[in-house]
Amino acid sequence: MYKWFLAWRYLHTKLIAFFGVASVMLCVAMVLVVMSVMGGFLDTVRERSRGMLSDVVLEAGSMQGFPYYEEFETYVAKHMSDIVAVTTPTIVNYGLIRVPDTSQTKPAQIVGVRLNEYCTINDFKGGLHYEEYFPGTTTLAKQPIAVAGLDPNTEKLSLPPELEAANRKWQESVGDPEEIEKYESLPYATSAFPKTAAPYYYDRVFAADIGEPKYEGPEHMGLIVGSDVLWDRDKQGGFKRYLARGTRLALTVLPLTPSGTLTGEPPVRIPLRYADDSRTGIFEIDSMCVYVDFDMLQQKLAMDAQEKIDGGFTKPRAKQLLIGLKEGVDLDEGWARVQAGWLNFLATLGPNVDDGDMTRLGFVDVYTWEDLQRPLIAAIEKEKVLVTILFGLISLVAIVLLGCIFYMIVEKKTKDIGILKSLGASGRGVAGLFVVYAAAIGVVGAALGTLLGSAFVWNINTIQDKLAQLNPALKVWSPDVYSFDKIPEVVKQQDAMWIAIVAVIASMVGSLIPAFLAARVWPVKALRYE
Amino acid sequence: MSNEMLRAKGLHKSYKMGRSVVRVLRGVSLSAKRGEFLAVMGASGSGKSTLLHLLGALDLPNRGTVEYENRDLFGLPRSARRAYCNRDVGFVFQFYHLLPELNALENVLIARLITHSAGSWMGARRQSRADAGELLERVGLKDRARHRPSELSGGERQRVAIARALVNRPALLLADEPTGNLDAKIGGEIMGLLTELNEAGQTIIMVTHDAQVASRAHRRLQLSDGVMSEGGTDRR
Repeated sequence: MYKWFLAWRYLHTKLIAFFGVASVMLCVAMVLVVMSVMGGFLDTVRERSRGMLSDVVLEAGSMQGFPYYEEFETYVAKHMSDIVAVTTPTIVNYGLIRVPDTSQTKPAQIVGVRLNEYCTINDFKGGLHYEEYFPGTTTLAKQPIAVAGLDPNTEKLSLPPELEAANRKWQESVGDPEEIEKYESLPYATSAFPKTAAPYYYDRVFAADIGEPKYEGPEHMGLIVGSDVLWDRDKQGGFKRYLARGTRLALTVLPLTPSGTLTGEPPVRIPLRYADDSRTGIFEIDSMCVYVDFDMLQQKLAMDAQEKIDGGFTKPRAKQLLIGLKEGVDLDEGWARVQAGWLNFLATLGPNVDDGDMTRLGFVDVYTWEDLQRPLIAAIEKEKVLVTILFGLISLVAIVLLGCIFYMIVEKKTKDIGILKSLGASGRGVAGLFVVYAAAIGVVGAALGTLLGSAFVWNINTIQDKLAQLNPALKVWSPDVYSFDKIPEVVKQQDAMWIAIVAVIASMVGSLIPAFLAARVWPVKALRYE
Repeated sequence: MSNEMLRAKGLHKSYKMGRSVVRVLRGVSLSAKRGEFLAVMGASGSGKSTLLHLLGALDLPNRGTVEYENRDLFGLPRSARRAYCNRDVGFVFQFYHLLPELNALENVLIARLITHSAGSWMGARRQSRADAGELLERVGLKDRARHRPSELSGGERQRVAIARALVNRPALLLADEPTGNLDAKIGGEIMGLLTELNEAGQTIIMVTHDAQVASRAHRRLQLSDGVMSEGGTDRR
């Protein structure tokens, strides 16, 4: 009993205990902050990269895609409706995006999607900018440019009625007058020509005219650009949208034959209209990808059914078939079923399949979204492990320091050890006293460290902003670099619990040698110690 | 039943001091009867404290035996020797040796706490506090129970040490120069207290260099150069 009693007394009467508690606290806080930020970073990347794909992906081994994807969709609907909720094909290709008004040309990864299906299979819709403020208006179909003008009734600058109605729908769903007011106060662009050299940028950028609100210009298919393809960012992570919604853009693509050779035709130029911009939060995706209508792209790339010289038609091709599993279906189980289903499907195709098509089908693989994003996720996972190891090493130093502190405590308490032993305390009991004392220091330090670390993580962005106010060089998190606006600020309870447990154990381990030494001291020797 | 409580026979103890060996005790023998107040006298460095430490099983002799109630202390298992230190013997040191973080009451209680596990302490707590309080009252420190050693005078600290030595009701009290660090008046008071305890039946073995202090004992032994000799008569 005296172990607990004395450990408690030592804990709140010894200055040295304060240093022990402080070192455990700082170690726990440090490791918790690192693990939370890096873990949050990893989780965000995982979550967002998942958002771009579906649970299971059937992917062709080469750019020219694979045939029979429609037939496999039918097969899935018939045989796997118990686990599959939705399927949609996509095309992934490369080309050039051009802004004719500014003569700006950039390389881009072109993704052909069926927007409605694509939005049901993943979180793509959540990252669309105009779709948020004007729900239901983003489309990849043919569209003119919407021009803001003076409303004859209100004499206010406003958009055509459909867009105003959509915006009112957003306002009703938001309900926060402050946010609505903030958005309302943003001006439109003031001319039909985008303000490429404008000193300001706006979150709602529409062409504007002094006439009535209207749609004008020839209709072109829509294009959604990745948020970092055309826009630069400001220091707060906001995008400098300098093109009005509906501005003309152009894509240049190079069609390939089913066997992967050039068709011999000149590159295809596709006029499009800027319909929206997409933000997944992953810089690698947002800085490269643009999205167009699947069927249009398929046709422009000659991946649709083409008439053969010897009669008949080639099979239309897609690069990927995205397969969304039903709620509650295990990812690995879903993958295994789709994999087996795909092999069965191939077996049903029979001998009529063209040899070239058969070769292409042989290179189709079934992946989970995690498999496809592995390079991205693995890099950050490794980074997390590396940083955790580095801070673990620092914590190891802290444990050694803790050992030193306990050694000093034992040295200082040698006389007490003699007194306790002369009163009949056992060596094991005295050692236990110091281990209990260390555990108490560990528990208090871990609790305070968890509080400190959690408070730091929860307020990490505010702290960074305050530091940046003092000195801009102290702003360590650049949204421009990391793609996320904010440093992740979530503390996982499980992480916090494990760190605290390890800290308590480490404190106890740090005290073992001094405790063992204390146990061996003869009472007479200890009593003579001055 | 024999009236003899403690018997030491042929105790030898030496220490290494650098390259030389200092022989502190050279075949010391003594015995103490139940209820006796025995004083061992000797000059500084004569081996008095070493002898007392051996009698209290706080150290091991090079040779010789100490028998308590006919049991050889150094032949006992460690746990039994610890039980001897805790329950059969109470030790009073010249420099008090109180735990500085604890108040007077807690310093007395600590000897009792050592005997208990966390579970058994719950049952014994109330009685133990009452016993400790009673002992502090007996040594005249009822009002100083909540004071830490640093807030007590030398005499008061020694009283706390005596109360601690007695809290487990030991049959034998070993006192190592109990007045050695106190002035004459306070030393006299402490000796009065020890005499009072002895009159109430407590067996006491005390070592001292002070003949006046030793005169309170029933019997006095002289230790010089590690050898024991009879040094006085019964005071009664």
